[in-house]
Amino acid sequence: MSISHTDVGDLRKIVILGRLDVSGTGSVANELEKLAAGPTKGVVVDLSSLKFLASLGIRALIKSAQVVEDRGGRMVLFVGTNAQVVMSLEATGIDELIPMFKNNAEAERAAVA
Amino acid sequence: MRNGIHIGKQVDTLAIAASGDDIRRATEWLTTTLRQRDVPDPQVERLELALHEVLANVLAHGGSAACAEPIRIRIEVRGNATTGEARIKVSDAGIPFDPTGAPEHTPAKTLAEAKPGGLGLPLIRHCSDWMRYRREGRRNHFMFGARWPKL
Repeated sequence: MSISHTDVGDLRKIVILGRLDVSGTGSVANELEKLAAGPTKGVVVDLSSLKFLASLGIRALIKSAQVVEDRGGRMVLFVGTNAQVVMSLEATGIDELIPMFKNNAEAERAAVA
Repeated sequence: MRNGIHIGKQVDTLAIAASGDDIRRATEWLTTTLRQRDVPDPQVERLELALHEVLANVLAHGGSAACAEPIRIRIEVRGNATTGEARIKVSDAGIPFDPTGAPEHTPAKTLAEAKPGGLGLPLIRHCSDWMRYRREGRRNHFMFGARWPKL
């Protein structure tokens, strides 16, 4: 698992790689929440190269999105063409709560809108 | 042969401990096995996620008995000229739990209302074409599977 971020103006982009499963989620969940609490208005979480997204990973995304919303910002997901991640998000209805984009530029615009 | 149609069946089994590392080992084993059996990728991905959530439930809610004895997993891939099917059976010694009888998940209407837990069963339901459960002796036996048309 790895998690990294870059800040550009009002936008923080967080990239998660690996598998968000029982083994992998614990190592990035706290870091994700900390990064979501950061000073930027908008947050894009890039899941486009994630290999696996289980319920524990979705739980971490929900908590982070709530942290961003609580401080008046907006968190969105960039999924690209990652069909497996899209399946997990749609099956749980989380795509209705955290906006999900296949296009990176649209995700970035939505996060700071 | 049954009714003039050949019924093929291939069976693989694995025993694991109730731990995060072994759950990953089991999902990777499932993926490798199903691909070797020519199960299409969309069904492999669905079943991998469903198995992960079934095992994660055992780990989180099965209690000490679930951790004291191996979890057994059985994969059966079968098919005829027109249809393929993969059947997965998970057997554990944990607290009795019937996923097929659990209430449906009610999605939150807003992010603020969303509760982070309770998403495993919706994923299992979404990823399976069917599910069955029985309690036999001191073990749960949960079965689920996916079907696909052969071109």
